[in-house]
Amino acid sequence: MKRAIAAISLVAALATGPVLAQAADAPVSVPGFNYVRTVGTISEYTLESNGLTVLLMPERSAPVVTFMVTYLVGSRNEVTGTTGATHLLEHLMFKGSDAFNDVKGNSVKQYLATVGGNLNATTSLDRTNYFAMVGKEFLEGYVAIEADRMRNLWLREEDRQLEMTVVRNEFEQGENDPQQALDVEINAAAIIAHPYHHSTIGWRSDIENVPIEKLRAFYDTYYWPNNATVSVIGDFEPAAVLGLIKKYYGTFTRSPRPIPQVYTTEPEQQGERRVTVRRAGETGIVGIAYKSVAGRDADYPALSVLGTILGSGKTSRFYKALTDANLTLGAFAQAGFFHDPQLFQIYAFLAPGADHAQVEKVLREEIERVKKDGVTDAEVATALGKYKASIAYGRDGSFAIASNLNESIAAGDWTLYYTVDDATAKVTAADVKRVANKYLDVNKSTTGWFIPTTPDAAAK
Amino acid sequence: MRFIAAFAACAAVLLAAPGARASVAKYAVRADIDGIDVVALRTGVQDVVTLVGSLPAGDDRSPPGNVMLATLTGAMLDKGTTVQDKFAIAEKLGNVGARLSFSVDTNTLMISGRCLRKDLPLLVGLMAEQLRTPAFSEQEFKKLQVQLQGAVRQQQEDPGFRAGDAFSRAVFPVGHPNRQPTAEQMLADMSKTTIAEVRQFHQQYYGPSGMRLVIVGDVDPTAAQAEVRKAFSGWTGGSLPPALTPAKAAASAQIETIVMADKTSVAVVIGQATQLKYSDPDTLPLRLGTRIFGGDGFTTRLMANVRDKEGLTYGVYAYVSGDTFTDGDWRIQGDFAPALLDKGIASTRRQLEAWHADGITDAELKREKTQFAGNYQVGLATSGGMAGTILVMLNRGMPLEFVDEYPARVKAITRDQVNSAIRKHLDPAKMTLVKAGTIGGAEADPPAAN
Repeated sequence: MKRAIAAISLVAALATGPVLAQAADAPVSVPGFNYVRTVGTISEYTLESNGLTVLLMPERSAPVVTFMVTYLVGSRNEVTGTTGATHLLEHLMFKGSDAFNDVKGNSVKQYLATVGGNLNATTSLDRTNYFAMVGKEFLEGYVAIEADRMRNLWLREEDRQLEMTVVRNEFEQGENDPQQALDVEINAAAIIAHPYHHSTIGWRSDIENVPIEKLRAFYDTYYWPNNATVSVIGDFEPAAVLGLIKKYYGTFTRSPRPIPQVYTTEPEQQGERRVTVRRAGETGIVGIAYKSVAGRDADYPALSVLGTILGSGKTSRFYKALTDANLTLGAFAQAGFFHDPQLFQIYAFLAPGADHAQVEKVLREEIERVKKDGVTDAEVATALGKYKASIAYGRDGSFAIASNLNESIAAGDWTLYYTVDDATAKVTAADVKRVANKYLDVNKSTTGWFIPTTPDAAAK
Repeated sequence: MRFIAAFAACAAVLLAAPGARASVAKYAVRADIDGIDVVALRTGVQDVVTLVGSLPAGDDRSPPGNVMLATLTGAMLDKGTTVQDKFAIAEKLGNVGARLSFSVDTNTLMISGRCLRKDLPLLVGLMAEQLRTPAFSEQEFKKLQVQLQGAVRQQQEDPGFRAGDAFSRAVFPVGHPNRQPTAEQMLADMSKTTIAEVRQFHQQYYGPSGMRLVIVGDVDPTAAQAEVRKAFSGWTGGSLPPALTPAKAAASAQIETIVMADKTSVAVVIGQATQLKYSDPDTLPLRLGTRIFGGDGFTTRLMANVRDKEGLTYGVYAYVSGDTFTDGDWRIQGDFAPALLDKGIASTRRQLEAWHADGITDAELKREKTQFAGNYQVGLATSGGMAGTILVMLNRGMPLEFVDEYPARVKAITRDQVNSAIRKHLDPAKMTLVKAGTIGGAEADPPAAN
């Protein structure tokens, strides 16, 4: 393993001549891999022996590489008693294996502490991802450890006990935030059958009590190459990287049993639901969640544009009707981008002197106005202008690219990374009006109020 | 803005993680444009340009008795100009997805912008228009006062903010810029500030003198500077950052408890004022030692022990902050469940005392230097990371070459320098402890008065 300090140079990060638009690298042929397709500048391969999906996107603006593995397991794969297990397991993935551990001084944390860079993992509704962004010369060392923990993790009870309190403190910190506390309640009321009902961090009692055997079963069910996608973005040569991946991931077999699929679908909501959270605080919050669509749905792009028109910046409807009228400190709207249908959520944070009923009334009036009169072409053009620029901003650096690609993988189709952009660019004012009428139905909504109980807080 | 200061300082600490050999000074184009220090640098990113800047019109310029004046002035910049209203500006930016914002921290007005390559002239033009000719409408000002009152109250809900805020008042004397005013003072002063005072503040402190702009990304440096020259032509005034005197060392340890209702995690800060500016020779060794003790990552002494070995917290960190323009502070920041609070603080203190008494090891220093280099390289891999790092370095009084020299300077630091700086400038026995959250059976502190 190369551990040189002085060789790192930023020269390659600085452009000294014309920079040409990047084209995809030509597909490479590496024994053991099947080339699947190239979309945009991303090429897809499959490791024949075990079904591991590999996505390669050379991006040579800096001499660094982001390596990310995305497992298609998230809190949607949990049931009562194991809520939060995906996330707790993610933490335990840093506890070591026979080959790489703290005692030996070569754990993944210690390796990154030696070579520098970013290392972390995150868990969401549909996926868990592990990643590092390192200087390109340090990639192999990371791949070796990352691959090893796919199947060789220790998973010891003593580690669970120590990590449980760490995760519980993460839960407690989240609970400190009024909006997060309200969001948990709104989700739980809005979604009753589908596992999106509970938040990714889970219920406190499950975090505290889930036995190590269930975590082991979870690991042995979902942590297999045929349930994972490796994404490599940055300054690398495709054939060499495929060789590394084969070297370290090629030792694993496919899962012995098919990966279980979630089959629960949310029943149709037949009437408005309401929740209230009362606790000490300073600022009231109104949240409204409407039943929405999956990220792969053809209506998602129009809902995304609708969210921008309603709640993004000073040009938005909510800013003009609420924030500029000193009814709110801010308000936003967005459609969730997930594997299964989730929610179109609106949040408004009350300004001093405003009350919940008044703010909710204005929010609903603005929604009804869009449903009745539609939006203007100019509003759509502004939303698309923001969207187009955000695509470019999201490609500033290999980690940003990997993160966005990761969400498309989780939604069920990595090519959404490009196709959602293409579809969004074609959204019209008529599309926005149509989806507003189709999805922003009060009978399919859940409204939540965070009411601060500090004396006279609402009147400040 | 008062409540953004903590975040800005934290970001600067991360961006400043040094360690790579670069050639920024060779490729960056730097010029004095009518008094504005402008640096433009082309990188390999496609189509994206990041612009950051600063102007010495921060909260330290607010007079006693009117502590929100700088924040109110900065927050009025995006409320319309004498040329067009705020909606017209927002539409021009929004139509092309450009982003432009202003915020006020302890020492500066911070400028942050992003756009596609073709839209840089628009971005620079609107930035200049907002800085030079804000409308300062009475109606908008009254709206802003209500908004900021709400924002001040909102931040009072956050135990982490409350602990850091109280810590600043415990370790910095009255009159020191890093000493944050109370919520009560901010609310009281804000309600009596007039738009005439805002206009006067703008006239006195806004101008090219002391202003910096850094433009990085898919940009022609010469063309970018021409845009700046055109947009700011004829602008005069402004002022250089004021000379500030260091804080006095704490005479004894203090303990402060802020009781808040219905909080499930307690925020803790332990630390002291350092009396060190970034440019002090001891600062870099102290920062390096602090990273080993509690920097970002999972292998620091604090995280490896308090989190990994004892399971007492989700996160506990140590860092130096507030030392760009004046002497700063050194602090540990962590969160603990109420039931584990005493254990968490005891464990943290054990690590602090061992680190202070025994210092760092050669192995730790060697590893940290390599990690530094990797982090620095990764941190500069985006246009935002590069722009932010350059601006921070320049504001610290370093030459542009320092961006390139930073790794070598870090590499040259010895273990003795680190351990000496730790012992010379820190004293665990005199550190202040602040706890904020739902603690014991005590009743919550009353809310901020109106």
